[in-house]
Amino acid sequence: MMSPVRVGTIAANTMREAIRSRVLYTLLFFAVLLIGTGVLLSTLTYVESERILQSVGLAAIRLFGAAIAIFVGIGLIHREVERRTIYTILSKPISRAEFLLGKYLGLVATIWLQVVIMGLAFAAVSWLAAAPLTAQHAMALGLTAVELAVIVALATLFSSFTTPMLAALFTTGLYVLGHLSRDLRDLGAHSEVQSVRLAASALHRLLPDLESFNLTTQALHALPVPGSDVVVATLYGAGYAALLLVLAVVVFDRRDFK
Amino acid sequence: MSAEPREIVRVDRLVKEFPTGLGLRRRRVLHGISFRVREGEIFGFVGPNGAGKTTTLKLLMGLIHPTAGRASILGHDVGETAFRRHVGFLPENPYFYEFLTGREILAFYARLSGVPGVQIPGRIETLLDWVGLSHAADARLRTYSKGMLQRVGIAQALVHDPSVVFLDEPMSGLDPIGRKEIRDLILRLHEEGKTVFMNTHILSDVETVCDRVAIIVKGEIRYEGRIEDFLETGERQTDVVLAHVRPALATALEEGFGMRSGRGEHVELRVPEKRVAEVLERALAAGAEVVAVTPHRVSLESAFLSAVQQAGGPEGPEGRERK
Repeated sequence: MMSPVRVGTIAANTMREAIRSRVLYTLLFFAVLLIGTGVLLSTLTYVESERILQSVGLAAIRLFGAAIAIFVGIGLIHREVERRTIYTILSKPISRAEFLLGKYLGLVATIWLQVVIMGLAFAAVSWLAAAPLTAQHAMALGLTAVELAVIVALATLFSSFTTPMLAALFTTGLYVLGHLSRDLRDLGAHSEVQSVRLAASALHRLLPDLESFNLTTQALHALPVPGSDVVVATLYGAGYAALLLVLAVVVFDRRDFK
Repeated sequence: MSAEPREIVRVDRLVKEFPTGLGLRRRRVLHGISFRVREGEIFGFVGPNGAGKTTTLKLLMGLIHPTAGRASILGHDVGETAFRRHVGFLPENPYFYEFLTGREILAFYARLSGVPGVQIPGRIETLLDWVGLSHAADARLRTYSKGMLQRVGIAQALVHDPSVVFLDEPMSGLDPIGRKEIRDLILRLHEEGKTVFMNTHILSDVETVCDRVAIIVKGEIRYEGRIEDFLETGERQTDVVLAHVRPALATALEEGFGMRSGRGEHVELRVPEKRVAEVLERALAAGAEVVAVTPHRVSLESAFLSAVQQAGGPEGPEGRERK
């Protein structure tokens, strides 16, 4: 049985490590700076200046969020093994699955906290520029948080068995492919060869469909977003991340810490 | 008649192989080792570097999985986790989260070990005081010296008051004072009735603190039992010192017994116990004077070296690769 105390202890400690690390503050500083430069960019145009400001802001949150998720996630487990801190931890009555889940949840919580901070900066800049703030903006930020949880799960999976360098390559590659998987499916659907159609569809199902978490257009143009879309995307993200974590536990459980 | 002490650690025909190269070959590090550790004893797991001591300990701690065989602690298979509530572990050269303070890291391990929240602050204070780190309790671990980290390692191993403690080379890299402190600590744990399993290659430590030992060489157990019995396994020798030894006798003794050191007519010999009478008779017949006859106590070091040499040298298990 998973113990919430043990998982929570690992998660809280992972958050504490991130909060005490200077690297994250640097990344967060640049993210907030980029959100702020939206104000500057919006002055370069007479039309739709608020939309440009908010477009830059949302893009900054998504990109910096992904960068932090990949940057920290790729070393999440590998660092513990490499620095041998895992020896004393696993000698306690904690399972490898609890340890891995704790590390994952700790990093997700840290990144969500950063999304909140970046979201507040975004709201402040929008308010200063008198740009509208709607429920769609909140939904867009919410789904960005779900997308980042999926990216952290990807990074955790790779970090559980390979080096940070390879984990970075795999995670970044899947991040890019994840944003193209919907295009790939649509492209394949136009093919006259059935095997190509099937392969494109299968790839779309296998790869994370990260565009399903992208509500930037709806937020910028105040288009209606059905609540069910957000719920389905959230469930999809949670399910995909859970599958990745199960896979990570299977791999991690078999490992020898030499 | 008192009952046999309970078996705390039981290792049966444990085999460990690691893949090498591209994973096509396998290197066998443990060749089906078996041994027992009984309740309340200080057990020394002794062997040269590369013999398989740390591999065995990692298997017992569930950090690596056995290829074959079985190991259990307190009656539980080492693959389980819940029983570790009663187990403490100090790795060799322990590493900890450097961003935490001494107090924070102990609280972290206490929570993981299931110590009730209300007991944690009191337990930490006791341990900090015990290992002499109260003055540095609120400093980050990155500012700690090696000796201080070793003390943190001991404190974390004991934070949940385990009944059996595993120590991997607990005195390596410490100064003489630090080593004495660790020795005293091990003896104190023993007095409290805890079972201590200690990996070491420092023989003086073994002689000072251990009740029983297992000697591992190249992944095989060469001996398991009391140290006194181990020292008795070799042939007993006796040192004989003679004076007024004429050259003819000296030559005869050298040819007959090999070992000879001496200055002029003064000769020292080490002979097997059963041949002492023969040596003395010849010496006295040749007019020599017997100065001293002393039974030679085999040191643990020489007995250990002889066990290693019987196994074909101290190098590790390399070279025993299998496809």
